[in-house]
Amino acid sequence: MTRPDSSSHIGVILALALRNLRRQVRRTALTATALILGAGLLVFSNAIGDGTHEQWIDDGVRNGSGHVTIEHPAFRMSQKLEDRLGAEVRAATVAALATEGLVDRVTGVSEQLTISGMASSAAGARPAQILGVNPEAEAAFTTIDEQVIEGRYLKSDDRLAAYVGVGLMDQLDLRLGSRLVLTGQDAEQEIAGQLVRVVGVFRNGAPSVDQRVIHIPLGIAAEWLGTGDDVSNIAVMVADSTEVSGLVSRLREALAGPVDAGLATVLGWREAMPALAAMVVVDEYGNYFVFGILFIIIGFGIVNTVLMSVLHRQREFGVLQALGLTPRQTGAVVFAEGLLLTAVSTLVGVGLGVGMTWYFFGDGLDMTALAGDAMANVDLAGVVMDPIVVPMFSVVRTVQMLGWMMLLGVLASVYPAVRATRIDVCESMKFDR
Amino acid sequence: MPSEDTRRAVRTENLSKIYRQEAEEVQAVRDVSLTIQPGEFAALAGPSGSGKTTLLNLIGGLTRPTHGQVWVGDQELSELPNRALARLRLDQVGFVFQAYNLLPVLTARENAEFPMLLQGVSAPERTRRVDELFARTGMEGLEDRRPGKLSGGQQQRVAVVRAVASRPALVLADEPTANLDSASSDALLDLMDDLNRELGVTFVFATHDARVMDRCRRLVRMMDGGVDSEETPA
Repeated sequence: MTRPDSSSHIGVILALALRNLRRQVRRTALTATALILGAGLLVFSNAIGDGTHEQWIDDGVRNGSGHVTIEHPAFRMSQKLEDRLGAEVRAATVAALATEGLVDRVTGVSEQLTISGMASSAAGARPAQILGVNPEAEAAFTTIDEQVIEGRYLKSDDRLAAYVGVGLMDQLDLRLGSRLVLTGQDAEQEIAGQLVRVVGVFRNGAPSVDQRVIHIPLGIAAEWLGTGDDVSNIAVMVADSTEVSGLVSRLREALAGPVDAGLATVLGWREAMPALAAMVVVDEYGNYFVFGILFIIIGFGIVNTVLMSVLHRQREFGVLQALGLTPRQTGAVVFAEGLLLTAVSTLVGVGLGVGMTWYFFGDGLDMTALAGDAMANVDLAGVVMDPIVVPMFSVVRTVQMLGWMMLLGVLASVYPAVRATRIDVCESMKFDR
Repeated sequence: MPSEDTRRAVRTENLSKIYRQEAEEVQAVRDVSLTIQPGEFAALAGPSGSGKTTLLNLIGGLTRPTHGQVWVGDQELSELPNRALARLRLDQVGFVFQAYNLLPVLTARENAEFPMLLQGVSAPERTRRVDELFARTGMEGLEDRRPGKLSGGQQQRVAVVRAVASRPALVLADEPTANLDSASSDALLDLMDDLNRELGVTFVFATHDARVMDRCRRLVRMMDGGVDSEETPA
């Protein structure tokens, strides 16, 4: 007689598993639906979560200090003009960013001279954060130029121009074209003033920005404060936030001299904006917690379906063993049922999730429709949350989800399969069902 | 051929099976020593609880003895690992159960072919054997029906085809006629008798059905787990 090979048994096991799944169509369909929805939701919510985080990071780095910032080690805490990058460090940084391997990864560079000073008008004086910027570079870097509500953003040939937050405009009772005086401590530690004229007004949404920030041309700021070619910081943007650590390493290497001399430090956005980084981490863990609950619910669904099926088929398992299957092969039938159910449902579910992600890819998901106006202009860690979230699709993440779901299917099928291997053949055939 | 005969014989020596039910011990089979020759058409007869089904299960390797030994052919089963026991059941033993025990998700043909599928018998050979046996059992035209769409007699005929199609040396039939009417029982017994005579397959029944006992050429009467008497009707 022909000896069986293992493949023929695998074929028999899979065929039996498939038939058994089709046998209880309603039960299988219900579990499959739960799995499909679970997997779809998992992929979609993950894409939304990743999209939200990427958006937070993007908004944060555009309106903050970039994905990577090069600044004086004391500047982050002091925010003082004296803690600035010297012209040599600035030149070395610009040169490093222009080297092969970095130049194609960098999407934007913003050199800023930042000073905490006062802005005064006939109506009074208010504290202000004054940023001397290169208008064209800044426009390409930040989104603040797109937040103009009146007038325009700065131009490269502007001289005494200022781009002012709407809150500060109100507090100082300013209009477009109004003059205001900026006062601050210059490079010589002397109080110095600079007259500027409002050419544009912006609304960022974050009160801390709208009520304090003023952009002026970098050249005017340097003249006013006597800082020459020095800047407070150089912010660098890359296409993908995952490239940050590589860029930080390269820049630390390139600027080893100034860094070792305590003249400069290179910070990734997580170090530069710890509140934003913490917010992303907390939200990520919140998502993982929800995913964990979802996994548990789905897992119990699979266990329930497969185990119920096992309990109802004691006699059959006895017959299978009487006919020549080993206990392990009998368990394999059950295991294959769980796995097939999970595999097919997960693939469909992942397809559903990718489809939903694709659908919202263009216009994004407007969260105000779900949470009302409470979602509009929410300021977290200095970042204004955009209520329209664009999901972020990642092949790696999707494959990870697929892997987790399959692992869940494997784990959830183990117990029912073990139960099937442990039946007493004689007793099971007395079983009435 | 003596060696062939020895290989296919069933032999038990001082075979006992004790079940533990909660704190109580029940001796289902008591010290049974028995030899079944190849090609026999034998019945283990006795009332309910006499131990005939347990003895059949011990011979088929479906349960392990508490004491004693059992041989199918030249293989002693009591110490055989599960995998080897499954292999032995697949290659050498066919089962017919009182409750038919067809797999509900398979058609009549698939049920009949199932052990052969596990054995690795080729598809054309499986088809040939099943077609031939279905023709002999009057099951033609019912091959594609699931067990739920077959009568009790038809299901039991499929079970017999399943038991013999894989060419076992031994068929163990536990109360095969218990759920059948007399016409179906007679037809089934005719079939098994023919297969026994033509193919030389050894049949061992556990039964208390007089019709089965009348057809068997050896009767082992059991009582309280032990062999009470033996008869060889003419």
